[in-house]
Amino acid sequence: MAPLIPQGIINPELNFFFALILGIGFGYVLEQAGFSSSRKLAGVFYGYDFVVLRVFFTAGITAMTGLMFFGYLGWIDLSLVYVNPTFLYSAIAGGVIMGFGFILGGYCPGTSFVGAVVGKVDAMVFIIGSLIGIFIFGHFYDAFEPIYTGSFLGNIFIYDSLGLPKDWFALIMITVALLAFAITQKIEDRINNVGKEAIGQRPSYRVPAFLLVTAAIVFVFLPAERKTRLNEVMPEALVAQVASGSHLVSTHRVIHHIKNQNDKLVLIDARTEQEYSHFTLPGAIHIPIDNVLIRGWRPLFDNDHRPKVFFGNGNTAAMQAYLTAQRAGFENIFVMDGGLNKMFGELFIDYDDEKIESYNLQERSTARFLRDARIFFLEGGAVKDESDRPMITAPEESEVIPVIGGC
Amino acid sequence: MNPYLAGFLLGLVLLSAFFLTGRGLGASGAAKNVVITAVANAAPEYAEQSTFFGEFFTGSHPMMSWLVFLLMGVIIGAFYSGAMANRLGFKIERGPKISAGTRLGFALAGGLLFGLGAQFGRGCTSGAALSGMAVMSTGGILTMMAIFGTGYIIAYFFRKLWI
Repeated sequence: MAPLIPQGIINPELNFFFALILGIGFGYVLEQAGFSSSRKLAGVFYGYDFVVLRVFFTAGITAMTGLMFFGYLGWIDLSLVYVNPTFLYSAIAGGVIMGFGFILGGYCPGTSFVGAVVGKVDAMVFIIGSLIGIFIFGHFYDAFEPIYTGSFLGNIFIYDSLGLPKDWFALIMITVALLAFAITQKIEDRINNVGKEAIGQRPSYRVPAFLLVTAAIVFVFLPAERKTRLNEVMPEALVAQVASGSHLVSTHRVIHHIKNQNDKLVLIDARTEQEYSHFTLPGAIHIPIDNVLIRGWRPLFDNDHRPKVFFGNGNTAAMQAYLTAQRAGFENIFVMDGGLNKMFGELFIDYDDEKIESYNLQERSTARFLRDARIFFLEGGAVKDESDRPMITAPEESEVIPVIGGC
Repeated sequence: MNPYLAGFLLGLVLLSAFFLTGRGLGASGAAKNVVITAVANAAPEYAEQSTFFGEFFTGSHPMMSWLVFLLMGVIIGAFYSGAMANRLGFKIERGPKISAGTRLGFALAGGLLFGLGAQFGRGCTSGAALSGMAVMSTGGILTMMAIFGTGYIIAYFFRKLWI
């Protein structure tokens, strides 16, 4: 579902409006937390005020667990979320320079704007400084470029870098943050000589801390599958379904469908583009395996309640497409058993009337059915008709608006 | 405001940003766009020959960017909060042992370094460290550790500025 704007659920033109609203929330919270004061911010490095650590880590963990939770439930497609790329040496060098900037200046860019707005002159000077710093980078960009664009490792995740499962990393992160909150509170109290009475009057954080750790532990023991959709099917269930054969639709049913030209099935050609353009069943749409999951087909799979039948030359291509679709949680999908080869084999067997008479009742009706179908096909009832297919043209993938991130 | 509550709310703002737009928060990016626009307007010939400032002439106008609107929001939100809490007023915050002039000099130097560092880090405390931590980006978390690690290592040598 989300992110809403890259998925095209909300008009991208509202992007700036949301930026403004989110910015208001961002600025309001930073000011409320006391981040307009450089002395308060610098306190984190000298032990007299750890408010930066508390706000920063609480925010980071809230957003991190929130994203994990939403991703797990399929509420947000994490593959569309911007992940800061890792340029190893540039990231570290930048951090070290910013560390110096923090100690000397007492602000970071976001907080300096907050400070300047409420009248802190040192914050205004800090902003001027940071504009000069950016200019220096721009002026000497060509000299800096090897470091800036070098050692690119991709948009990698910390848990992969550490070789940990994602949920374990989250649990560790939460534990470390809670320990840091407890320890820094003790340090802060000692440095500021806070009395026991004042400490006793503080709210207790045991309950929220306990709940947070419990939630993280539960996460670790949940099935580890990374879900992309709410109703994703587990592999075990899928195997059982395939073994029972309940996903198969006979060629006879498909022939019947084509012959009577009723609209109760959606035929999906899972073969290659070349094969499809050469020949396909009447009314069939073309969705090869690579396209099964593209967003444009979601309305078909989600909202069209007719049975959708994949077919290929044999079973392989159709089966692959079926498995992909089924695993993604799409419902009401099937495979035409045996594919086009079986269908043609049946259609173009010669039945002479005398021989039919010697069959038993069921075989006889089958043979008659196929004979009629053959006549129908040969007389052009199923001839490739350009106006007949594709009923639904392949959607464009361009509706996903790429996310450009960075700060 | 209770710092944990503030952190939780900030986390919700960040989460909303991801949910709505697929990206986190940031502050230094807007400053970069301001610098690029200013340079391109003041010295177009210089800007055109530069890889960095030449960006002005390609694509959309740098001021019409998501981060610039975000920063405008920050300014509004912070002003509202400060006004409500009666915290408005000109002031130079400094440690007890230094003069206002010294403080401003170091603020300028600190800002300069932060602006420079935020380019290498591809984001500052909000765009690289906080948003990077939320999406568990290796680069973002390395930058975060480098910022705070360096801060703690050198804090002792600059203690006269603050305590």
